[in-house]
Amino acid sequence: MRKKLALALAAAMTVGAITGCSGGGSTGKSAVGGGETAAAAEEGGETTAADPANYEVTEPITITWWHALEEQYTDTVEQIVNDFNNSQDLITVQAEYVGSYSDVNEALVAAHAAGSGLPAITVANTPYVAEYGAGGLTEDLTPYIEATGYDIEDFGDGMIAASQYDGKQVSLPFLISTQIMFYNKDMADEMGITMPTTWEEMDTFMQEATVKAADGTTETYASIIPGWDQWYFETFYLNQGVKIINDDQVTTDLNSDTAVAIAAKLKEWCDNGYTYWTGTADDASSNMRNNFISGKALSVIHTTSLYDTYVDQCDFEVGMAWLPGAETKNQEIGGCVLLIPAKNDQATKNAAWQFMQYLCSKDVNMTWAEGTGYMPTRKSVLETEEGQAFLEKKPAFQAIFDNLDLINPRIQHAAWNQLTTIWKNSMAELIIEGGDVQEAMDQMAMEIDDVLGDV
Amino acid sequence: MKEKRMNPRKVSALKDFACVVPVLIFLAIFTYYPIVELIRISFTDWNLLKDTWQYVGFKNWEWLFNGSGTRYLWNSLRVTVLYSIGELAVTIVGGMLFALIFNRMNKAFGAMRAIVFMPKYVAMSSAAVVFLWILNTDTGILNYFLSLIGISPVDWLGNRNTALISVLMLTGWRCIGYGMMIYLSAMMGISTDYYEAAALDGANSVQKFFKITLPMLSPTTLFLFVTTFISSMKVFQSVDILTQGGPYRSTEVFVYNIYRYAMVDFRMDRASTVAIFFFVLLLLVTVATMKISKGNVTYDS
Repeated sequence: MRKKLALALAAAMTVGAITGCSGGGSTGKSAVGGGETAAAAEEGGETTAADPANYEVTEPITITWWHALEEQYTDTVEQIVNDFNNSQDLITVQAEYVGSYSDVNEALVAAHAAGSGLPAITVANTPYVAEYGAGGLTEDLTPYIEATGYDIEDFGDGMIAASQYDGKQVSLPFLISTQIMFYNKDMADEMGITMPTTWEEMDTFMQEATVKAADGTTETYASIIPGWDQWYFETFYLNQGVKIINDDQVTTDLNSDTAVAIAAKLKEWCDNGYTYWTGTADDASSNMRNNFISGKALSVIHTTSLYDTYVDQCDFEVGMAWLPGAETKNQEIGGCVLLIPAKNDQATKNAAWQFMQYLCSKDVNMTWAEGTGYMPTRKSVLETEEGQAFLEKKPAFQAIFDNLDLINPRIQHAAWNQLTTIWKNSMAELIIEGGDVQEAMDQMAMEIDDVLGDV
Repeated sequence: MKEKRMNPRKVSALKDFACVVPVLIFLAIFTYYPIVELIRISFTDWNLLKDTWQYVGFKNWEWLFNGSGTRYLWNSLRVTVLYSIGELAVTIVGGMLFALIFNRMNKAFGAMRAIVFMPKYVAMSSAAVVFLWILNTDTGILNYFLSLIGISPVDWLGNRNTALISVLMLTGWRCIGYGMMIYLSAMMGISTDYYEAAALDGANSVQKFFKITLPMLSPTTLFLFVTTFISSMKVFQSVDILTQGGPYRSTEVFVYNIYRYAMVDFRMDRASTVAIFFFVLLLLVTVATMKISKGNVTYDS
């Protein structure tokens, strides 16, 4: 009897497993099917691209907006959403704070893979644009722009490029920032220090601006370079001709002589106590901020978006200096774009498009620019008297306005996110734990080549 | 009619079977099917970002055992084993020590036992957030106390040498009371006859502990060893909140490694491959522990 029961059990299990298997097959198929419908819809969209009727909102709809705007921005977010909801009858927007940019990324990709639970519209950190574009996650906004006659040309050129993938406008610039060196102007004046403008000068600056106690420990760091996001140190490489991703798109030159020399320099500054490596932990950013606010660092490299936050918290004058350059003195766009997930239905997309135009409008943009450290995104502000009026309110932004043309889009590669994780970890390990720079960079390059070649 | 009547034993067996069918269905859907799926996915190139996937043969397995994944596989294996040893030491050695200390049945000790056991009730995520503050380099209370005795601040979570120890501090704080409680209840079950007989023979308390208490507790120790070992191999929450596997993957335990491939890199194929390896490993370890321990345990009957 027992044997028979066991047999029956085994049979039941096998059946379960087999039905399971076929279920799995259909998952794959349905995913492919999803892609096909999307493609078909796209084709349909193309043939009637110019017809604005296709992109109109005709019935009342509630849509969700995912964002990554922390507590200090809550009031602004609420006000902007309420204003939009009150400005028309059909669309109700619900704003949802998802977490950091990487939290948004994880939630968005998971929802995209599941095909459900997607927001109508979401923010995305600038480097993700390529990944999403390549994966078909984002709706191509080109037909929407054409049909509704949206004036895209008014955005800064670099910002437009940063929100495109493969020539398609898959997102719009929303809250844009760039890297900047915040410095304690009072302290710098007192010490008679001028901020470095080149990588060469940086070396002397690091030595001279560091204040050490009698026992050799550091009292004031010359500068702090964030190690939790390579965005803050990658321009040092780019401006010295390191490509990070070679033209073949599958290898890195982060172990080239120049790149290794830069890594060695960064390590040397840390070893000498001129600065410290922040590491990648969650509290690295708040620790760095506290060091600057409390006067334990003359300068920090951070994002311009935090300008107002720093000014509020520091009891000294906060200056902004362009990052030290080399052959070039380019910088990169940071912050976030807005995009519409492609797997949404057309009605949701249309409503999202309406809200997106509003969020990216000049007025809303200026609300952000004036209340936070995010930049004006419009040429009609940047290049006109309005920009001058803005500068009068925030003179420190002169450093950015002087260099607007030097703000470039990010490197776009589908494996960029994986590359940066390896890079950040390797740098932290090398500098904090010590070791041979060339060896560490070679090992890192090997891992990076592997992810670049496998996307 | 006669032919249709079934043997009563058969009917009873069928009834028995009918009773387990619901459970079997659940197991099939939520346990066996996912395992089979894992195996299938490990032979694909399924990236969450892409809408399509295809079978790629043994590519992921090659990546795991002879590619850039190998280094981190061994790394996470090493970290997990180290963590497990730590948790086992705390639960078994610490638990027994606390059980001996608190083995007095009066109100004051009852209250103290409750306090030691209490952390087990605190949700791991909340406890981990509190530990984030305790361990903070500049403002943490641990570094404050260390500074009082002249020790300079330690970057507990940002340093390879201390990060895993920090995670284990949280584990110890939470688990020691559990080990203590299990040992205490087992100690209650040891007949006082043994101790009386030993006292008559002139045994001292150290001898009593090593000759009576310890052997009599061996089934409990085995139970704690097996359950703690397997649960410690699956640690995730504390690592996720305290270190996210960092610094530079030095606290990346197995489950976090899998999570990372799946939800950070979106490489479901790679995550599945590692998950299968982990599943087989855990299975072997369990079988081995059961086999080895069979001969060395005293059951009081």
